[in-house]
Amino acid sequence: MEIFPALLSVITDPVLLFAIVLAAAVGMIVGATPGLTASAAIAMLLPITFYMPPLFALAFLYVIGKSGRYGGSVAAILFNTPGTAASAATQIDGYPLAKAGKAGKAMKVATISSVIGDFMGDIMLVVGVGFIAALALRLGPPETFAIYFAAFVVIGSVIGKSIVKGMISAVLGILVSMVGLDPITGQERFTFGSFELSNGIGLVPLMIGVFVLGEVFAQLEERSKSSGEVRENTSASDGHSLTFEEYKPCIPHAIRGGFIGAGIGVLPGLGSAIAAFISYGEGKRRAKNPEMWGKGALEGVAAPEAANNAVSGPSMAPLLTLGIPGSTIGAILLGVFLIHGIQVGPTLFLTDRELVYQLFACGMLGIIAYGLIGYFGASQVARIILKVPTSVLYPLIFLTAFVAAYSARGSLFDVTVMTFAGFAGWLMRKFEFNVAAFVISFVLAKGAEETFRQSLLMSDGGILIFVERPIATGFLLLGILAMAARIRAIMRERKVVSGELEDA
Amino acid sequence: MKDMIEGLALLLLSLIAIWGAWQVPQAAPGETWAGLVPFGAAVALLGLSLLLVAGGLRSASHGTDVDVQKVPASGTREILTLFLIALIYQQSFRWFGYLLPTAAAAPVVLYLFGVRSRLGLAASAILCPLVFHIIFFELLGVFPPYGEVFDLLDVIQG
Repeated sequence: MEIFPALLSVITDPVLLFAIVLAAAVGMIVGATPGLTASAAIAMLLPITFYMPPLFALAFLYVIGKSGRYGGSVAAILFNTPGTAASAATQIDGYPLAKAGKAGKAMKVATISSVIGDFMGDIMLVVGVGFIAALALRLGPPETFAIYFAAFVVIGSVIGKSIVKGMISAVLGILVSMVGLDPITGQERFTFGSFELSNGIGLVPLMIGVFVLGEVFAQLEERSKSSGEVRENTSASDGHSLTFEEYKPCIPHAIRGGFIGAGIGVLPGLGSAIAAFISYGEGKRRAKNPEMWGKGALEGVAAPEAANNAVSGPSMAPLLTLGIPGSTIGAILLGVFLIHGIQVGPTLFLTDRELVYQLFACGMLGIIAYGLIGYFGASQVARIILKVPTSVLYPLIFLTAFVAAYSARGSLFDVTVMTFAGFAGWLMRKFEFNVAAFVISFVLAKGAEETFRQSLLMSDGGILIFVERPIATGFLLLGILAMAARIRAIMRERKVVSGELEDA
Repeated sequence: MKDMIEGLALLLLSLIAIWGAWQVPQAAPGETWAGLVPFGAAVALLGLSLLLVAGGLRSASHGTDVDVQKVPASGTREILTLFLIALIYQQSFRWFGYLLPTAAAAPVVLYLFGVRSRLGLAASAILCPLVFHIIFFELLGVFPPYGEVFDLLDVIQG
């Protein structure tokens, strides 16, 4: 019930309300801009939030993340270019609808479904997070390490095409996070005699480099490959409005999508793209008109959009209760918590309970804000985006990355780190390594190391402590099973492909 | 071939990481070795790199390999140019502060992204440093980087 006083306190703060509306608009624009992601925007704006109060900073970035997920549908429907990986599922039916002059109708379905899904996710978060936190308080270092281990394996093996490359990305993230002084003994690791490296690699410059500068490099490469111009799909006179009768068949798909998204969101690393595609597949399987899916079914927009946005709230649960970010946005938000001196984990609900519920309240108001902006102004947002040429936008983002990286700690070494991280981020994208796994592992590594070494101290160096405790064993097995399931799925896909090739 | 080259590069990296982790002094009695996790991660990287190399060798023997020569190299030259600009730009903060390097970098980067308007490029050389300086160094109160060789901000502020 803490959410109601939190909502009241947020609603009565006009400055915070303005920040929420601003964040909703910024997130939507960023999500709808092809090539830009909410993660990039959050990473770039992160240094600015150092100068804000903690709730203001967290709410601003959290709402950008929520709105950015929704903004991807604007690009998918109105520009035929998915703004985010998740909105590729929306594009399957969004594009045929737009071609049929029903872009406005599709956009309204996407907006309503996103709002339904996002609210479902947030309500589940508010109801369940206290319970998870209470459970997390009972976990010891071996159990916590086992959860970290499961998170590493799931993040490394489930996202992306190659398990080996995913795991390599995760291991690289761990190695980079080890640079600097050991927090327990104070000994130098991977510093190679450099004083600047002894301070470690900062989260903010790394994020800005990988997500922002890396994206600028990728966009420059993309420009040289394609000269295609992005145009807005417009609606016919009857294709703009949406009646309740038209939306009614979408409701079960949106609600199912909400449950699918919320369930997937709570698992670290899976993310909204997987939720959106599972929801689309499940929706099509249960649809009364499956033959229309892929050809312009409104339900085909509702199902993935609801799931995509429902991920947002529950993905905060592992972050807030265990300190394990479930997504790249979660990883950046973890940085904000740490910068403002707030320790994330089960004790957060004892020390900063009010702040957590106020953040949830801000998220809910953010949903209303982007819902209203999207329902009434998606076309205007699309026009704003089209007015800013990418040839100007990306150089400005390039310059912003440098000053933002410097502003974080006033350190020129951070700018150097950001530059190299940007190039590394581009290389990882180019050679199909997993950037998300790299960043999330970077964030998780220190906590995992701490719990691992605490466990070893508890058992006098005996590794069997992890198998002697049932919860720890359960999570270790979960990680191994997740990887085994993924290997099996890949093998099956390969068999199908080789079968098709032989048939051809 | 592509997987094999990536694997070999990572193999080299993992060997450096193993050597780096090995340099961490041994633990005092009652403590855990600070190099334990870095060493474990480096060994894991070695194993995964070997898997990548093995995968590359297998696909080469089955003829399903992606030839490095056939991978499109479009845009790589531009990326390397931009990376070089980025390196010079960040280094020049140390020599010339923020304003002068930004005034020089803005039109160059815009040109690289296809802006050809002379007026636009000239305007960017003035507007970009001005706007970023006002937002970050005046409004947010961040202390600007000091140019060791020459700092335009020093001249402007007298």
